[in-house]
Amino acid sequence: MNTIAVVTSEFDRVIKFFWQELKPRGKWLTPFNVISIPIILIGLVILYFRFVYGIGSVTNLNQYYPLGIWIGFDVVTGVALAGGAYVITFVVYVMRMDKYHSIVRVTVLNGLLAYIFYAGALTLDLGRPWHIVNPIIGNSFGYNSVLFLVSWHFLLYMLTMALEFSPVVAEWAQLEKARKFLAGLTLAAVIFGITLSILHQSGLGALFLMAKPKIHPLWYSEFIPVMFFVSSIYAGLSMIIFEGTISHKIFKDLLGGQNHRHYEEIVLGLGKGAAITMFVYYFFQALIFIHEKRWQLIADAWGYWYLVEIIGFVLVPCFMYAYAVRNRNLGIIKVASVLALLGIVLNRLNVTVIAYRWYDVNKYYPSWEEIVVTLMVVFTEIWIFRWIVTRMPVLGKRQ
Amino acid sequence: MEFYTYVNIFETKGLEYLLLMSFFALFIFLVRYLSGAGKKTSVHEEKR
Repeated sequence: MNTIAVVTSEFDRVIKFFWQELKPRGKWLTPFNVISIPIILIGLVILYFRFVYGIGSVTNLNQYYPLGIWIGFDVVTGVALAGGAYVITFVVYVMRMDKYHSIVRVTVLNGLLAYIFYAGALTLDLGRPWHIVNPIIGNSFGYNSVLFLVSWHFLLYMLTMALEFSPVVAEWAQLEKARKFLAGLTLAAVIFGITLSILHQSGLGALFLMAKPKIHPLWYSEFIPVMFFVSSIYAGLSMIIFEGTISHKIFKDLLGGQNHRHYEEIVLGLGKGAAITMFVYYFFQALIFIHEKRWQLIADAWGYWYLVEIIGFVLVPCFMYAYAVRNRNLGIIKVASVLALLGIVLNRLNVTVIAYRWYDVNKYYPSWEEIVVTLMVVFTEIWIFRWIVTRMPVLGKRQ
Repeated sequence: MEFYTYVNIFETKGLEYLLLMSFFALFIFLVRYLSGAGKKTSVHEEKR
């Protein structure tokens, strides 16, 4: 009887705790809320039509253009931008660079949410979304296909990141024994996660190996998997700088004094890593360019567009990072991170949408519904991110 | 009729080798350049 009473009171405590945490905090009428709430609501209505009347009712996709911005931006770009999680966990837990320990939690959270929302957006794009479980349950799956590898890796990596983040949830729920147990699993989860990331970041590129006749030769090469992997490293680092800059302004009350002091050193270190990786990526691009003898492709509009991407959004931010690190200029690093992120978006959209079936007269353009749903996915992720950061010990202390 | 010549760096992989060598040389330069960072005072210290 006594045991039942203890369990009941503990259950009541947990329910009250979660109820308190679910209540909104802070001001409601902020510019972000005013913009994001209508878009999320309209997006939900569009998703209703998408699932009831089919994918063709809200998108401009067809048999010739099966990949739109839901795949090109949400999935392919989103996963690249989430690369910071495996880079930072590798740096902190494997290379033992404790300087970056204070940003592990927020980076892993960012990566976890990015995978849940952006990779989860894959469900929206499947004509028969209930078939998404087929590769997992072994029902009519092509075990030698790249998509099989990518789908398993997405699932396993999401679980791995959830495990990496679980000590924070246990700390938030004041479950000390569970926190210690889960924290003990972190290193194994990190090593497993890095392995998965390397494979599926390149695996996403490998998906396009079979589309050789459809992708413009300036963007297609048999080294797409390598390029996707290398670019995901600096994409992740740039995303951490960009996201950290915004978090530092919005969540400054949640940051401990130590984080403020180390912030500059952390950003400079990330900028240094991004500069070196972008330099390597640029030379890989140059090597492929010469190896594939692409000189004759550079003299038309597609060639100029390619140069804009490679010089304007890879080489220029690379030099900006290097200059800013050398001169300890955080402002230039932040601008470089934005340019690098735009470059990644451009590269992934070029491969999946813009330079895809480049020879067609009637090109694919996303419908307004596709754009609204894409924004809805991004805004919803930010809402969840904000909810977690303001409640759990992610940035330093609990509110 | 096309014919192969050993002195044409476009036909051989000469250009690729040159690019790789310049990459390694510039990479060393970049790392040394970036390692020189930190000699200046930090942004916070400058503000003070």
